[in-house]
Amino acid sequence: MTFRQARWDEPPLWEISPPRSPPSEGPTAVIPGLPERWVRTTPVRWPELSELEIARHYTRLSQMNFGIDTSAYPLGSCTMKYNPKVSEVLARRAGAADVHPYQPESTVQGSLEVLYRLENLLAKITGMREVSLQPAAGAHGEFVALLMVRAYFQDHGQLEQRREVLLPDTAHGTNPASAAMAGFTTREIPSKNGCVDVALLQEAVSERTACFMLTNPNTAGLFESDIMAIARTVHDSGAMLYYDGANLNAILGVTNPGRMGFDVAHLNLHKTFATPHGGGGPGAGALGAGEQLAPYLPVPRVAKAGRKYHLDYHRPKSIGKVKTGYGNFGLDLRALVYILSHGEEGLRHVSRRAVLNSNYVADRLGRFLTRPFGKLVKHEFVLSGAQLRKEGVRTLDLAKRLLDEGVHAPTIYFPSLVEESLMIELPETESRRELDAFVAAFERAVKDTPEHLREAPHNLSVGRVDEVLAARELRLSWKDLRAAEAVRLASLPPVPAASPTPPP
Amino acid sequence: MLHSLGLPTIDALFEDIPKGVQISRMGIGPGRTESQVVGAIDKILARNKPISRFSNFLGGRISSRYLPAVVDAILSRSEFYTSYTPYQPEASQGMLQALFEFQSLWVELTGLDVANASLYDGATAAGEAMLLCRRIHLGDRFLLPASLPWEEKSVLANYGAGLGLKLAEIPFDPSTGRLDLEWVDREVRVGDVFGVLADVPNGFGLVDERLLDLKGTVGTVPLVVSADPLSLTVLQPPGEYGADIVVGEGQGFGMAPSFGGPLLGLMACRHEHVRLMPGRLVGATQDVHGRRAYTLTLQTREQHIRRSRATSNICTNESLLALAFVVYATSVGPARLARLQTDLAEKAHELAASLAGIDGLTVPRFNAPYLGEFAMELTQGNATGFLDRMLAKGILAGHSLSDPRPAARSGPELVLVAPSQSTRARDSRKYVTAAREALRPVSVGAV
Repeated sequence: MTFRQARWDEPPLWEISPPRSPPSEGPTAVIPGLPERWVRTTPVRWPELSELEIARHYTRLSQMNFGIDTSAYPLGSCTMKYNPKVSEVLARRAGAADVHPYQPESTVQGSLEVLYRLENLLAKITGMREVSLQPAAGAHGEFVALLMVRAYFQDHGQLEQRREVLLPDTAHGTNPASAAMAGFTTREIPSKNGCVDVALLQEAVSERTACFMLTNPNTAGLFESDIMAIARTVHDSGAMLYYDGANLNAILGVTNPGRMGFDVAHLNLHKTFATPHGGGGPGAGALGAGEQLAPYLPVPRVAKAGRKYHLDYHRPKSIGKVKTGYGNFGLDLRALVYILSHGEEGLRHVSRRAVLNSNYVADRLGRFLTRPFGKLVKHEFVLSGAQLRKEGVRTLDLAKRLLDEGVHAPTIYFPSLVEESLMIELPETESRRELDAFVAAFERAVKDTPEHLREAPHNLSVGRVDEVLAARELRLSWKDLRAAEAVRLASLPPVPAASPTPPP
Repeated sequence: MLHSLGLPTIDALFEDIPKGVQISRMGIGPGRTESQVVGAIDKILARNKPISRFSNFLGGRISSRYLPAVVDAILSRSEFYTSYTPYQPEASQGMLQALFEFQSLWVELTGLDVANASLYDGATAAGEAMLLCRRIHLGDRFLLPASLPWEEKSVLANYGAGLGLKLAEIPFDPSTGRLDLEWVDREVRVGDVFGVLADVPNGFGLVDERLLDLKGTVGTVPLVVSADPLSLTVLQPPGEYGADIVVGEGQGFGMAPSFGGPLLGLMACRHEHVRLMPGRLVGATQDVHGRRAYTLTLQTREQHIRRSRATSNICTNESLLALAFVVYATSVGPARLARLQTDLAEKAHELAASLAGIDGLTVPRFNAPYLGEFAMELTQGNATGFLDRMLAKGILAGHSLSDPRPAARSGPELVLVAPSQSTRARDSRKYVTAAREALRPVSVGAV
């Protein structure tokens, strides 16, 4: 496929229309009683553009951005599936959007019902006792879960001893970061053939362990088949088992974290449940808890008495609030739409198809690059680009070259236990035709000349971006650009005085 | 596809999942067609009464404002809303440039040097700011105003729980609501304070003059100011009175309230602390041809590289709402934003003046300057009862500032009242009449 991204030399806002200074209509009205010292003296230096200027500016920018509607995203562990349009329509209904979180309960029965129903559906899907929708994103859910684990052990007089969180070396970076934020030390357990080495885990767990965090299937795309032994090992030591739900898309209706013995689980609604990623967010991080940890979930809980819903703050063991409001409601609504649309069979089909896609593409790409782990994978798989290094080609080059084909790059250099790794996930929404197109694009990329690969991308709005320069000479705002420009101008030789124009 | 893999059935793809953990069904019911789902959701949403059906005086950090159509038109570009985090800069110049513009705007509003590309919401941004203070300055105690909304105190307590940080509440003058700087001075001298937070407008809606002197009191201890973005169009930027970190809730700039989420966490800090800052940062740079380009930068602070030593665990943030923020501000423009703030302030002051003198209300509760919202105290009855009676008249009269958790200490019955952009004079008159009726003592023997 031939692909050429739009290339607009689109200036930033302040170059399109420099801000007027002083503004034409300043704050003429005086705020009663506001002391003079409080009144802003430096005007806000920001442009005001016409609607056309704004529409054109951002439409041009959008044309220099990949999205699901234009490109497949084979990003491992990110589950970039299609975001159904009906969800966008419904989330914009006045009954959903024009609702304030502090309205009296009697006026927000619909919003509460959305949350209540979604919590219950997610509890069934995950096999957890209760679900809270308050966390704003997956990593936020991890942090909240670990605070709950912390509160639990504090209640049971074991917090002083249980200070360690264990994780496999394939864990997402958010896992150790969340554990550290919740005040735990972390220790990574080396994997064996891409999976948890149960013998090493048994050696590592002790009465000092608070929690073992696991993604199943893991980031190598493998199902941890020893999960029952893992759960037993962790529970025998008195620790908790944490489920990172980033990879839930592989197992819907086949198994679930509750059945596998997990005590607490976060889900990324922006992955498995098809809410859009928004260029990096917002997401939504549902948190499921089993019997021991459910009392510690954030307040309020959404409760139902008779036919009426209400916000329940009567949870004495709750850790309290982790965010303003009750979660990312707009995303929760989209996830509910997704689950209601699919239903039992639909969701089962999602995982079947996602795993089939993954195995199909893995089988095809295995002809070009090494597959470090076993044959049967779940929703994603890992390749190693190490063999390209002898020609001086890095996985990074391959990723950039794939962009030239109009598909996004896979996740690269993760998991780190594989040299030059590529982690690939093409969710169920990608058709066989798209998969074959991706395989063909991948083949063209792998077989390209080393020079062409190293210079990629060629067809995008910009060539290879200098990330080293960005970090060395920090320019993080217009203010920095102005300062840099001032330095540049000051270093220029003085402009010679203009010679007087001779009289005619 | 199965055939090409040499597999007999689809179940063969799951044979690595032990039978012992397999489930037979989830029990979530059958799927539905699109039209059925729309019908079901609309039926649920019909049980809501949206803000527009009421005279609305709800505020706090979340507001309902007119959203220019161009904002949602831009946000509906699927190249933006269906895109992933811009880890591949060459494929993401559009979002990266928009985020760079957003960062620039928050820098201009706050008077600080560096803004990140967003956090979850204002409350979690304050939590992250507290942890940033802890990386800047030694100590184990963080000072925050006693007047801070209970939700934010709870979020801060949770963000500090892991590191064992202690929160201490700065008392306020009972009549003016002002921060007790003498108390702050004494506490800072103890030497264990690593950071101080103050908000503007504060939890009571007040613009406290003593905040302007707070940095002078705390000295080298980092000062976090939590500021409403709209207020910064008329108030001194916190960078000019010594704030080291400025956080805020950005929802009011281009986003619907959406029952409290998604929201937009704002954060800016000084150049010297950028390497300790949480969240993604977009930097300007060049491509190999020397053309202007943008990229995520200083990623070595972040969880996907630094893991347990990262400055935060945050990964997914609120990028799309950052886009809404900058589109909204550029569409309305700084002058009209300032006008909006002064209009809201005028409405608030007029309403407060009209309510003064009603028996059973102390309004405004504090004798201090405020902008678009004010606190009033119910001297008889409770806030919930009052708000319910106002609701019966079609008025969302404000929200109670009490912590609803049973273990919370009961305090005065305070209600925060915030006229909105759509509030007209007749809404305010209606408010006054209804409040008078709601607070009228019921005469004994009345039938």
